[in-house]
Amino acid sequence: MSIVPKESIEVIAQSIGINNLSSDAALALAPDVEYRVREIMQEAIKCMRHSKRTTLTTDDVDSALSLRNVEPIYGFASGDPLRFKRAVGRKDLFYIDDKEVDLKDVIEAPLPKAPLDTAVVVHWLAIEGVQPAIPENVAMEAIVAPAENKRLEHRKEDALPVDIKLPVKHVLSRELQLYFDKITELTTNRSDSVLFKEALSSLATDSGLHPLVPYFSYFIAEEVTRNLNDLSLLVALMRVVQSLLRNPHIHIEPYLHQLMPSIITCLVAKRLGHRLADDHWELRDFSATLVASICRRFGHVYHNLQTRVTKTLLNAFLDPTKAMTQHYGAIQGLSALGANVVRLLILPNLEPYLKLLEPEMLLEKQKNEVKRNEAWRVYGALMCAAGNCVYERLKMLPGLLSRPNRQIWRANSGLDLTISNKRKPSNSDLLGHQPPLKKLATAAPAAVSIPTKKDISAAVQAGGAATISGQLPSRREWPTGGDGSRALTVAWKEEVDAGDLLCSLFELFGEGILSFIQPPELSLFL
Amino acid sequence: MDEEEIDKAVMAYLRKKGFKEAERVLQEEQNRVSSVGSRSDPEIAKQILTFAESGDGPLRYHEGYSKLRTWSYSSLDLYKDELLRVLYPVFIHCFMDLVAKGYVQEARRFFNCFRDDHEMMHKRDLQKFEGILTPSHLEEMEFACALRQSKVNIKLCQYSYELLLQYLQKTQSLTMLGIINEHINFKVSPGHPSSISDDADAVSLIGSSQDIAKQVNQKEVHWGLLEDSIEERFEKHGGLLSDSEKVDGENKEADGEDKKRPVEGNKQGASAKKMKKDKVVGAVGKNVRSETTTVSVAPRVKPELKLPVMPPDEEQSILEDLRNRVQISSLALPSVSFYTFINTHNGLNCSAVSHDGALVAGGFSDSSLKVWDMSKIGQQAGSINTQGENEPSLNGHVLGSDERKQPYTLFQGHAGPVYAASFSPRGDYILSSSSDATIRLWSNKLNANLVCYKGHNYPVWDVQFSPVGHYFASSSHDRTARIWSMDRIQPLRIMAGHLSDVDCVQWHPNCNYIATGSSDKTVRLWDVHSGECVRIFIGHRSMVLSLAMSPDGRYMASGDEDGSIMMWDLSTGRCITPLVGHTSCVWSLAFSCEGTLLASGSADCTVKLWDVTASTKISKTEESRSGSGSRLRSLKTLPTKSTPVYNLRFSRRNLLFATGALSKGV
Repeated sequence: MSIVPKESIEVIAQSIGINNLSSDAALALAPDVEYRVREIMQEAIKCMRHSKRTTLTTDDVDSALSLRNVEPIYGFASGDPLRFKRAVGRKDLFYIDDKEVDLKDVIEAPLPKAPLDTAVVVHWLAIEGVQPAIPENVAMEAIVAPAENKRLEHRKEDALPVDIKLPVKHVLSRELQLYFDKITELTTNRSDSVLFKEALSSLATDSGLHPLVPYFSYFIAEEVTRNLNDLSLLVALMRVVQSLLRNPHIHIEPYLHQLMPSIITCLVAKRLGHRLADDHWELRDFSATLVASICRRFGHVYHNLQTRVTKTLLNAFLDPTKAMTQHYGAIQGLSALGANVVRLLILPNLEPYLKLLEPEMLLEKQKNEVKRNEAWRVYGALMCAAGNCVYERLKMLPGLLSRPNRQIWRANSGLDLTISNKRKPSNSDLLGHQPPLKKLATAAPAAVSIPTKKDISAAVQAGGAATISGQLPSRREWPTGGDGSRALTVAWKEEVDAGDLLCSLFELFGEGILSFIQPPELSLFL
Repeated sequence: MDEEEIDKAVMAYLRKKGFKEAERVLQEEQNRVSSVGSRSDPEIAKQILTFAESGDGPLRYHEGYSKLRTWSYSSLDLYKDELLRVLYPVFIHCFMDLVAKGYVQEARRFFNCFRDDHEMMHKRDLQKFEGILTPSHLEEMEFACALRQSKVNIKLCQYSYELLLQYLQKTQSLTMLGIINEHINFKVSPGHPSSISDDADAVSLIGSSQDIAKQVNQKEVHWGLLEDSIEERFEKHGGLLSDSEKVDGENKEADGEDKKRPVEGNKQGASAKKMKKDKVVGAVGKNVRSETTTVSVAPRVKPELKLPVMPPDEEQSILEDLRNRVQISSLALPSVSFYTFINTHNGLNCSAVSHDGALVAGGFSDSSLKVWDMSKIGQQAGSINTQGENEPSLNGHVLGSDERKQPYTLFQGHAGPVYAASFSPRGDYILSSSSDATIRLWSNKLNANLVCYKGHNYPVWDVQFSPVGHYFASSSHDRTARIWSMDRIQPLRIMAGHLSDVDCVQWHPNCNYIATGSSDKTVRLWDVHSGECVRIFIGHRSMVLSLAMSPDGRYMASGDEDGSIMMWDLSTGRCITPLVGHTSCVWSLAFSCEGTLLASGSADCTVKLWDVTASTKISKTEESRSGSGSRLRSLKTLPTKSTPVYNLRFSRRNLLFATGALSKGV
């Protein structure tokens, strides 16, 4: 009847030295104990309310006990509410994690930092009923449109006069203007300073920046078109874009149309920077990730966004008149969009493209060192894209590896084994810090981007070495068996065998492609 | 019907009931009469038999109640609401009967079986009842005693009443009939059944106080403003003043005071006492000048207390404020300046802001009271006071500029958590109340404790300075509210009557009344002069945490633990309109100076602004309906960043100050 069982009373009695408590007495005591506990809790709740809290603490119980002239319970650290933990394997058993502490440790431990003293800070919660967008206030969920809608609905609802504020001129507060000036100045002149990093983090977190977004997007578009030869500025601008995209308080959607051309420009422009030494590759890689992240985030809102982007990129990729740099950007952009895009758009075109590319890479056919280098870059990017794509496939269908292919591998096994032995360490360097399964789970772009860069440079080095020794990995005749090319052309189909794919890729890229495949899976082939 | 059988049944019944004497007498009687042929009315015999058969067992209650319940639920929709209203008192009394008779186990089973029905409406009561396990608890608990001793009034329409009677007679459920007869007082009204929503009585069950409440609420309440207040004088000739004519204004003020002296001398016998100004009064400068408003139509009343003298410079500053008051309404919302307490480590219990926002006080659970002077800490706060109130550039970044180690004044003296703090109208004194049952008066000028007022026996939950200063009211766990004056260490009045803790207290703008909110879910209005209770407001479903009086003295708002706010008309004692919107405790309420807006601050981390004029206008024009159909509109919800709002206050210039402690856990 009482929620306090008789047994509890007996246990408590024993704990204070009463061993012969009759069960009748326990039975009679139980309901009274429950009543008293409830009484104390009622008072404790009052104390809690008057302390303006909604969580009951031990202090409240102590106050309630002292209200009833009962000795308080000692031994609880005051302040935070107690955290109960669920006992393992029990649904309804909770306990307080109260570890035993060695006194010696406590004494020898360095003094903890004194808690910060209470202080009062003032801010405007509202100015004439409108909440200013400052960090002290809650971020506005919907900046303009939904609020307006609600208002109208509300008005219809009860037909009471509601003031509708007329659209006012967009006025920037002086603080925001100063902020904008400061940021633009930093971006254009001192993008390598520590201060710029601070500015970027501020752009990525500050909640009050929304009024500035149109100005920023205009600024970025302007600067990109005017300063295509200033690489450091372009990098800085792209980082500003990245920060703005990261800021959870900014609704950047309406300004995407202004930003996208600038980013795409930084990805596939013919010439970025004015010196040869400028590492525009990195900028292209970075822009590629930006494009991909935008497509991922806003793809569901603007469903033609990704198609338009891929179309642009594909055009750049397939146009043989375009420069190698543009090809590189297009490939990087496409591969950043994910394995599916690569499978769909790059792989079917891979073979004809490589045919075009081959002469550019060869020392004897392309005398210009720079151009040859560029071609190698493109080759590396292609390999990465294809490799990551095939790796994704393999992860999806590890069990569907086709048997017959093994024989082809066998044929080359002598060579392959040695190579794969060489390659394995580098593999584990790149991926070893992440167990294969975990890698599966992590977001593809993050996982992809890391190996991409390293592999490209590795591929370029390898390629360089190869050219010197006059021994190309792609020396075997390009037009390989009809088998492989067929696999590539139908790569967009879901059911294509990953093994076939890999096989044909191997034929195109040589052993370089193997570095994209995990050792355990690789061993399946060997 | 066999004679023998009946006799046996009667005997068994008497034995069971423990009527030994009666049993003996009956037996004798029987022996004597047995020879004589007897007569028996079959009806009576049947009755007697059913009595005996049903026994006194606890099952009877259970069955009776569950039958009544099924019947009520399956009754006609139109009358269902009314019939269901009967169930709760029956339920409670069944339970108490069972407990009283010692069937504790059965009582508990009965309780758990049917509690869900009433969970929504009477959660708090059920929680209390749940703990009752022995007859002695029943006696100990005042709430239960009050219920046992009194009858509950239930309004029924004629037809529902007949339905109920018919059912009870037809089914012979005597137990239920007994309970209903014993504890329920039906008020049968002709006509259509009423819906539950417009019957406040249906909501709470507070035993005897209901009758008293009816009675009490007959008394007259003079809800008007003080006559000859500064606002009034300001209205009369203040409109002519412009800021350049300050000197002029001063002269006129002086005139006003001269005129006032003889009047007051007659009234109060206190010759040279000047009347002090009511600061919270809601005259709107411009508004009043042009058009009739709520304030200008408010009747004027005489003060019943001797009011303190207001120094001329103080009067000047008030007039200055009135001249510069921003007019706010549903079309022009106020600006809100938020004071956030950071690093409170869950220790902040209460906070208060002085009328000009320059001083902020916090009462802590470590017994300390801390006062921040915002004008010293940063220029920002200072400029709030001295210049216009709507400078958007005054975003607070206060801490940086201060080099001193302690940016606040620490007042130590209490021996328990400080539960309330209140600034005097001029901001020169602070009162604090604590769980050590004392109230302390602190001087801001001397930074010292001046007086310790002892009188309460239990923690003092709330303390409030009167609008004119000098007097203050306190409320305590000892179920009393007390009126004090600063110069006496004993209370002037003790207001007793609440059935549970008095949780909050608020002065009426004319200083003749105080309102108290209590854990017994009622709000009471007390006459300060006589100490009598003049109004009882029934309708809240949980403990009342905050109160606010409209500046014209006609309306009162009260907020409770569940987050609902009620607007009351003081003269009728009726609820005008409930305001629903908050999801957690309403810690604080404040009317704007014109009385056009109500601001509420809650534990759900929002400040809400409500339109008061919408409702009061309707109720004024359609007095007969006493505000039915009118409702307050929620104008705006201002969310804070995980900061429950502890206190709200409108400055005389209509800037809203809000305080709260940043709590990461919320």
